[in-house]
Amino acid sequence: IFHGFYAEEKLVGNLASMSASERIKAIQKMPETMRKKREISNRVLKEITRKSRRRGAGLSCCTGCLLRAAVFYRRFENVLSESFGRLRLWHRTLKIIGAEFGTSVLSYFLFLKWLITLNIFSFLINFSFITVPQFVAAAPNNLPFTGLELFTGAGYFQETVLYYGFYTNATISKAENGPSYNMQLAYIFSIGGYFAVCFLILLFSMARSFYRNFVNPLVHPGTASKLLCTWDFSVTNEKAVRLKQRNLSTQIKEELAGVNREVLSFSVRERVVRMVIHLVSWAASLGTAVAACAGIYFLSINNLKLFVEGRKNDLATEAAMLVLPVVTSLLNTFIPFFYSWLGRLEGFQTPGQQIYVTIVRNIILRISIVGILCCYWLNVVAASDSQCWETLVGQDTYRLVLFDFVFCLLGCFFGEFLPRIIGTTCSVNRGLPEFDIGRNILDLIYAQTLTWVSVLFSPLLPGIQIMLFSIVFYVKKVSLRMNCQPPRRFWRTAQMTTLFILLLFFPSFLGVLSVIGVTVWRLKPSEECGPFRGLPSMFAAVSEWIRVLESYAVSHWVVWVYHNLITSELFFFIISTPVVFLIYFYWKIIEGRKTMARLLHMLIIN
Amino acid sequence: MGNKQTIFTPEQLDAYQDCTFFTRKEILRLFYRYRDLAPQLVPLDYTDKPDVTLPYELIGSMPELKDNPFRQRIAEVFSASGDGNMTLDDFLDMFSVLSEMAPRDLKAYYAFKIYDFNNDDYICKSDLEKTVNKLTRNELTPEEVSLVCEKVIYEADADNDGKLSLEDFQHMIIRAPDFL
Repeated sequence: IFHGFYAEEKLVGNLASMSASERIKAIQKMPETMRKKREISNRVLKEITRKSRRRGAGLSCCTGCLLRAAVFYRRFENVLSESFGRLRLWHRTLKIIGAEFGTSVLSYFLFLKWLITLNIFSFLINFSFITVPQFVAAAPNNLPFTGLELFTGAGYFQETVLYYGFYTNATISKAENGPSYNMQLAYIFSIGGYFAVCFLILLFSMARSFYRNFVNPLVHPGTASKLLCTWDFSVTNEKAVRLKQRNLSTQIKEELAGVNREVLSFSVRERVVRMVIHLVSWAASLGTAVAACAGIYFLSINNLKLFVEGRKNDLATEAAMLVLPVVTSLLNTFIPFFYSWLGRLEGFQTPGQQIYVTIVRNIILRISIVGILCCYWLNVVAASDSQCWETLVGQDTYRLVLFDFVFCLLGCFFGEFLPRIIGTTCSVNRGLPEFDIGRNILDLIYAQTLTWVSVLFSPLLPGIQIMLFSIVFYVKKVSLRMNCQPPRRFWRTAQMTTLFILLLFFPSFLGVLSVIGVTVWRLKPSEECGPFRGLPSMFAAVSEWIRVLESYAVSHWVVWVYHNLITSELFFFIISTPVVFLIYFYWKIIEGRKTMARLLHMLIIN
Repeated sequence: MGNKQTIFTPEQLDAYQDCTFFTRKEILRLFYRYRDLAPQLVPLDYTDKPDVTLPYELIGSMPELKDNPFRQRIAEVFSASGDGNMTLDDFLDMFSVLSEMAPRDLKAYYAFKIYDFNNDDYICKSDLEKTVNKLTRNELTPEEVSLVCEKVIYEADADNDGKLSLEDFQHMIIRAPDFL
């Protein structure tokens, strides 16, 4: 707030000494009217020309040129950003969704869009570095194409670029003694590079989310923040606004009544009963998860036996291959209902606790299902005597992804369309269904985990997933506007988004990284197919390449980096110890600042 | 750069771009929205800086603001004359702050001014009561409204003077990541 002439002079002086882009940002951020800002901007420009004139008349034409060049450059930048702005995907749709349903529902669509961009990135890398060279050296495909391949992923697709097995292990070169393209290295490095970049992207988004949304609250945010800070100014639909107002008043009434409720403390007996109830529900949910995993494991072993023994390509065997994905998707659809029912039964103290516990149980279920499938693939399929186990894994993931998509659409139909029909015709009291944000985002995380697992075995599956995700986007958008009403409960968007990014990073991405790590380092690739046939492990391709490089003098630094940094354990120990110390150090600083803030607060009050 | 528009001079457009968070295209689009509210009052040529003000009733009828319970306060805060009638400069200012590109502390500053109904640079209990009524559409009883306002002041007032200053409000907003 700028009172006084001298404050303004100081401001103009400060602005004049900044660089051009910083100055523009500072002026944009000033809480003044446009007229005042223009005035200040003009005075700053005058100050700058005055300063440069003082430095010497000889330089003044230079500064004039520089200023003109800066203006020209800014205009060019604007044109570029405007033309790229047109490429922003679904910008208008997202704004409309935010206006009618609020930012909580919007966060689901933003998450979906973000996953689609990650997949586009993966697809581009894989396609350009692996698939395109493969087209050059492709073997002809003699298998017949029946329509069933679209569902089973086997048959005709087996001998296409879709799966690992088709890729050659040769060094491709177009002309004699021309530049050659080593397919093995290309495969490992492009997939490794993609995962490394993904890791950094996820780490940075998580850190940024945490920083923005988890600043330590000194005091438990009570009515104050709920009242003044949760009004969603981006909502412009009249019905939604009225609904929000009603929700806010209900919540305030609950909060005022809840103050009295918290005062009662539970007796010892009641506390024990509640603890027993919680333990029993956790046991039930973990038990269901374990049972589901065991069922899937035995079903898949049976499937493999059928496939390896049968080897017939008739309709029965193909249909039998579909049983596993259908059963997995059915379990994924119905067990969460059981969990929500359990959650309602348990009687948590706050609805927020119920949401968190249900989300944790769901994520445990899904990650253990993916985990058991990976276990099965890496331990059983890789050791089986099938011709090309990586292609089998790729086909399994293709089917799982496809059926997850189909069940997602069915869920949309049965979960939103039918309840709306029922709500408007039969029992009008129930009203329209709500969009279940948590459940839908967990579905997305599960689908993305499967896609990441499949990148190594089926390099083009991210491309297929992009298409499926886009279809899901449109279907969910249409279903949302046709069938759903804006959410009734307060959904802490910022905290929940941070939680979901954390879930995407920690169990999902790191789990996939460990699976890929085990595959690349430990497992023996199949003898007859794929770019790594004949090698003892996939990573052996890199070690062989390093051995070749040792004979060239120019590339000694690469060899040194490899031997001393990547494969030596000492290096990782040296890196991780300071990181751990840094984390501990920062944590102590934060604690110290918290105490300081508390003390200062006391001082101000008294 | 090549766009042949005759509404503003290039320097005017540059100045608008420097002072708001919008690009050239967005500024022109907003100008057309402004003009659509009253085509007979707003000229198509702003190079000579005409002094045109649109009355509050037209601004408040825009679809983005029509259902917002605070539309009158928003228009009052952003209009230069304080009565809700807005020139093009005020209009662009308002949408610039309400857009998603404005930083949170800028929005917090203006939110403070919007909630401060009596314009005394403090949010006192009566301001809060009016805010609560607008946010809940008069569905709470006056006792509940009063209770809630007391709780808010108790929780957020750091220097214990019975009303919220700008610093108290900004401190509270920083701790609430869902503020938009």
